[in-house]
Amino acid sequence: MGFRRLRAAVLATALAALPGAIAPAITPAWAQAPQRPLVWGDSLPATLDPHAIFDVPSQFVLLNVYDGLYRYQNNPPQLVPWLAESHTTSADGLNWEFTLRQGIKFQDGSDMTAEDVVYSFRRLLTMNRAPAAAFSPVLRPENVTATGPRTVRFVLSRAYAPFLSAMPLVAIVNPRVLAQHTVNDDWGAAWLAANTAGSGAYRIDPATYQARVSMDLSRFPGHFLGWSHNPRPIEQVRSRPVMETSTRVLALLRGEIDATDSYLPTDQVERVERNNRTRVARDESMRVFTIRMNNRKPPFDNRDARLCFAHAFNYEGFNNTILRGLVVRNGGPNPNNLWGNPSDLQPYTYDLNLARQHCDRARAAGAPLDREVEIHVQNELEQTVQAAQMFQADLRRVGINLRIVPNTWAGITGATGRAESTPDMWVHWVSTYFVDPENWIGQMYDSQFHGTWKASSWYSNPEVDTLLRQARSSLDRPERERLYQQATRLVVADSPDIWVYNTLNLRGLSRRVQGYQFSPVGSGGEMRLMSLAN
Amino acid sequence: MAFYIARRLLLALPALLGLVFLTFVLSRVIPGDPAATLAGDAATPAQLAEIRAQYGLDRPILEQAVIHVRQVLTGDFGRSVFSGRPVAEEIAQRLPATLELTFAALLLSTLLGVPLGLVAALNHNGPVDHLVRVLSVGGLAMASFWLAIMLQLFFSMELDILPLRGRVDVEIGMPPLRTGLVLLDSLLAGRGDIFVDGALHLVLPAVTLCLPGLATIARFTRSGVLETLQKDFVLYARAAGYGRVRLAAIYVLRNAVNMVVTQIGLLFGALISGAVAVEAIFDWPGLGTYAVQAILSADYKALLAVTLVVGVVYAVVNVLVDVAQALIDPRVAEDAR
Repeated sequence: MGFRRLRAAVLATALAALPGAIAPAITPAWAQAPQRPLVWGDSLPATLDPHAIFDVPSQFVLLNVYDGLYRYQNNPPQLVPWLAESHTTSADGLNWEFTLRQGIKFQDGSDMTAEDVVYSFRRLLTMNRAPAAAFSPVLRPENVTATGPRTVRFVLSRAYAPFLSAMPLVAIVNPRVLAQHTVNDDWGAAWLAANTAGSGAYRIDPATYQARVSMDLSRFPGHFLGWSHNPRPIEQVRSRPVMETSTRVLALLRGEIDATDSYLPTDQVERVERNNRTRVARDESMRVFTIRMNNRKPPFDNRDARLCFAHAFNYEGFNNTILRGLVVRNGGPNPNNLWGNPSDLQPYTYDLNLARQHCDRARAAGAPLDREVEIHVQNELEQTVQAAQMFQADLRRVGINLRIVPNTWAGITGATGRAESTPDMWVHWVSTYFVDPENWIGQMYDSQFHGTWKASSWYSNPEVDTLLRQARSSLDRPERERLYQQATRLVVADSPDIWVYNTLNLRGLSRRVQGYQFSPVGSGGEMRLMSLAN
Repeated sequence: MAFYIARRLLLALPALLGLVFLTFVLSRVIPGDPAATLAGDAATPAQLAEIRAQYGLDRPILEQAVIHVRQVLTGDFGRSVFSGRPVAEEIAQRLPATLELTFAALLLSTLLGVPLGLVAALNHNGPVDHLVRVLSVGGLAMASFWLAIMLQLFFSMELDILPLRGRVDVEIGMPPLRTGLVLLDSLLAGRGDIFVDGALHLVLPAVTLCLPGLATIARFTRSGVLETLQKDFVLYARAAGYGRVRLAAIYVLRNAVNMVVTQIGLLFGALISGAVAVEAIFDWPGLGTYAVQAILSADYKALLAVTLVVGVVYAVVNVLVDVAQALIDPRVAEDAR
């Protein structure tokens, strides 16, 4: 490697020029290192506190530094007992009791008990930040109690079927560590933003942590699952997010990082695969690319207008030409590979004649299709811009003027709190936070979620509300499946949004990375399973 | 001289106070809801309201402005609404990286720009002069993000002789932090390996960033030298038999350089703002990337602090430039009395 040679030459010169006394102290660290650490180039979360934020980057910390009672593994994702060895549920679905495994240690060496689980859930529910959203409507802090040294009881205020599915969202933290850093009853939140108190397979070195810049992890040999599954675990991981896509790809090709994020641009796939030291991991995920329409704002309060837009998007051109066929057409809000979808669901097709007919009907009914329609894109995510540009060209052919407005995730989601400030249209993905239709259709189209970004189409259909609420409270899986199928048919017929594709997860990897296993929750960032080739 | 410096510093204070108010107003008109970012992907409206109340975002704007100024005057920039960490701590981590890059770029610009301008002026309308003019116009016109990618492709990917990104190699790691400047800290720690690695990592970003400054300095040096060459004292010096090189390098340059020093002060501000694109492409963890992340996440606390810190640095550099001018040209200090 030329750079290494140059550096060695310059280094040798520098060493020769330095006094002999300090020369031994400056022997290059890389010359002694037995194995180059794995360098992970994916994004880092804004805070390390697992109870303060929940987004896609925070799953990396959740999976590697902390453990939950249950965890998703493999693809399709399976919910497996993790810290818990089992659980029981009462017939009415209100009482849940979890039994912890024996011999679980936190990273400070102390034993994990049921009281620690209780503390963690109370902390989560009292702080009431994003990860609490799945629990706070049905669970109060005082209703989480320890019934034994290893058993925890949860009493829900009403039956809530996705309760278990959402369980992996909650990290169990070490209260003894946090007690030393609690200031003004803040549950140690200020401290935990840049430190850790977990039991996970990897430890963070807080001295090296810089928010969104760098985080160094080392293996925790005492992890409760042991390491027999992986004879050559990775000892050191360096998390180094790369901001620019072009730099990220070049850094992978050059061997400076071992993994990109999971949004590798489709036009870079061939390039990465052609390089003899890199490859692309392609995994079908559960992340639906969606173009939202604000159903409260004219013309989108008219079904024909929405259908006009739905038929004017060139699904095949976008999926197969722009994205080179590296995605799968998805005709409804739930990912195709999730349960609860009707098998006979027909996706909307690209048909400009049909679009014109719907537009004419909408115009006849008074829908203001002659006004300029705004579509907000996330400027830093190229695909959202590409989709809007293609849509703009096709809509012009049916007489609709679409204006593309560059924006950011924070800018758009901040505006979705009210229907009046929600954009006419916007583009985003709905990722997997927990594997249940509730994560998609449930939170996107039940009107009780209006005001959240997920429900930002402001769709309202009492029949759909009823079906989704029944599905949420039923513990009978076949019945839930039937209810979700019924709701999906109604929602798709109303066409509140435009569903384009389900993601094929594309992550550029160095060929020295072995054992990479993808799961839609966490996008394959579980270091415990990986090893490095020599 | 002490009176002169004190006066310059006092004059900077109203500008900084104005900056505090102006940036606060600007921060509140940028799109985005910091509470939504802070709450994360799955937040409910009730959680958003709670966060707004907690961070005082639901208070009247004037009240927020007063609280903000009071906090800033006590050195408290508050907590980042994104990471929950003190903004002052985050800035302290990021500022040295930007300063290291900016000073390196400024040094390169000056060390190369002044001799280039001098040579061009001494060869007025000759081939060297034309070449320097073409290069300086090109340097000003070239988009830094394009140049950055070209340099990466050539020196890192094609020739494989310089690192692509970051401040140091992951295997070497950062030196024990004292000043936050990798080169200085590595020397203080006696780590020659980190110094070399850090210097190599600095080359491409510094070259990219220095180019517009280099062009500016070369142009100003050229025109300053040309103007000075027309002065009577030069004619007399020539008549007195002074050598061409001695005359140009000592007497002419000293008279011409004052304008260049002013430009260096102005350039410093331009370099810090230009560092945003360069830092993003080279993954340089400085204030530029911090500001971009703050904008993308509507982190107004961080944004306010970045603007203020850059303003303070800019003001201090300009005071230093004023002092340098006074030292170079006694007439400046004399006029200021």
